[in-house]
Amino acid sequence: MPAPTPCRCATPSPDQDQKENIFLPREANIIRVEKTTEMERILTLRLADGSQMKFEPGQILEVGLMGYGEIPIGLASSPTRTNTFDIVVRSVGRVSQAINTLGKGDTLLIRGPWGHGFPLENLRGHDLLIIAGGIGLCPTRSLIQYALDRRQEFKRFSLFYGARDPQQQLFTADLADWRKSKDVDYHETVDKSDPTWKGNVGVITTLFSKTKIDPGTRVVICGPPIMFKFVIREIDKLGIPHQNVFVDLERRMKCGVGKCGHCQMNDKYVCTDGPVFAFSEIERLEEAI
Amino acid sequence: MSSHFIKESDFAAFLAGLIKEKKVVGPVAKTSRQQEKFVFAQLERGEDLRLDYDVTILPPKKEFFPTQQDLVRFDGPRREGCVTPEEKVLFGVHFYDVKALDMTDLLFQERNDDRNYTARREAATVVISNIQKVSPRAFWSSIGAEIQPQGHDAWLSRIAGGYVLEPRTPKGAALLRFGKFATATPAQIAAARQANDAVAAQCPERLQGTSESNARKVRAAFGQEELWTKLAEDCFSCGSCNTVCPTCYCFDVQDWWNVDQKSGARTRYWDSCLTEDFAKISLGAGATENFRESRGERFRHRFMRKAAYLNEKLGGPACVGCGRCSAACTADIADPTAVINNIPEA
Repeated sequence: MPAPTPCRCATPSPDQDQKENIFLPREANIIRVEKTTEMERILTLRLADGSQMKFEPGQILEVGLMGYGEIPIGLASSPTRTNTFDIVVRSVGRVSQAINTLGKGDTLLIRGPWGHGFPLENLRGHDLLIIAGGIGLCPTRSLIQYALDRRQEFKRFSLFYGARDPQQQLFTADLADWRKSKDVDYHETVDKSDPTWKGNVGVITTLFSKTKIDPGTRVVICGPPIMFKFVIREIDKLGIPHQNVFVDLERRMKCGVGKCGHCQMNDKYVCTDGPVFAFSEIERLEEAI
Repeated sequence: MSSHFIKESDFAAFLAGLIKEKKVVGPVAKTSRQQEKFVFAQLERGEDLRLDYDVTILPPKKEFFPTQQDLVRFDGPRREGCVTPEEKVLFGVHFYDVKALDMTDLLFQERNDDRNYTARREAATVVISNIQKVSPRAFWSSIGAEIQPQGHDAWLSRIAGGYVLEPRTPKGAALLRFGKFATATPAQIAAARQANDAVAAQCPERLQGTSESNARKVRAAFGQEELWTKLAEDCFSCGSCNTVCPTCYCFDVQDWWNVDQKSGARTRYWDSCLTEDFAKISLGAGATENFRESRGERFRHRFMRKAAYLNEKLGGPACVGCGRCSAACTADIADPTAVINNIPEA
């Protein structure tokens, strides 16, 4: 028979328990709304209690409304900006459609920030290349803004952005700035052109021929699952070691706190162990890429 | 802590006293399709307690992680959390189910402490009882045998003429005042040990190999698509294996409204990784992406979870050998011994 074991600590008071309830959301007010495509809106939020939310670029929030539910969304702005933060909501399901009926002055409920964002310590002092495909621009925008705000912390900063077609481009005002900016070596492409488009046409890997990337560069990738495989091939051609490549993954996340099991990928929980992983950490994990 | 003996003739009064003062949950009989089955339920009368049960339909985790549990209730703009610790005595749990509780205790507590589970858990007193009858699909003697059950407050063993109660914690010792207990003699303590040890040889099924060798070979078999497709050929994706599992803890969260269309709740429900939409997301305009689309992938995921993925965290497999999944599976393809024993060594 087993040896005796000590019992757990005494039960905290119910009040303390309610405060510690990891499922209890807090309020954030919508202070700005911008429709960016037919399906997506950028919401700028501020915590209702006026405090500044502490977060790292690349972390996620659970965003929702009581009676509808919650959805996981990557923070789309940098903590170096004011006391507001941005999220992009694509209308695809019950919760996102409900959120996209709200306007300026309305209140959303959030939990988080959760998870591990981009490893700033590892990125600082090096060349930085960010590769964003489609809606992958939203979470990476938190790092793009960070790198632009703290430009001196990074050496050469390159950014590749690919969208399905010109109408699907997100953050068009930012894109216009980045095209002109001397702080970022910006390249963009669309899979399918239209008569208004004067830029590059082709998949995102066609952008690698447009600029010079040093093998010591730190690379951040976020996009649809199919994109990773092709981008990694190009990274390998450049001789960039996989521990210097960071991928921001998506899965079906439900609780955001590493419990519910939905986002499990091999032995990792994407919501808490990620969503950002060093590629070297996951490349041999089945089900990852 | 010392061991105590209560005579068979005094046991009913002990239970009656306990039930009078505390909420007591224990194994009781339930007839289903002319078969006697067992469930954990609140005891209204001591006579209902069936310590001679083999295995319960659902594991006792439901006492701390209910099949549906409100997390946040709302009424207009008002919201409140629903952490509701309730004192209760969970009486007559088999040791393998306590090993499973040890796992869910750790998993709900680690990183982000989920008070919706842990507060309930801390408010409970758990009493193990020795296994008097072995269920037909049990294999608990051959899986994770190196791991001992931790999270219990007392251990009750039936011996000739009565029961030996060994308190493990002050909460367990607090039960002594409800009955006429005497200090157990060395012979009674030895008899209690014998009652627990003897039953281990009676497990009808056996998992071969060690926790490490099984983790290694199950993991190594990940890429054998044909193997998993074949194993899952008859799977109905019903999730019964998950539902009855004492170590499964996945859940879905859904919001709902009361008829007043003003109030409602955010509630979690047990979920199953074998069901088709468990890892499925919407991409909009009717398009979806499913990160584990085939039955083979989902079946494999369950075995990876049970035999390999969590081993480092838990110190052994996330399976305690209760055999509930083997019995619950309509197609009888979920039996961990049948699946793992037939995977060749890596």
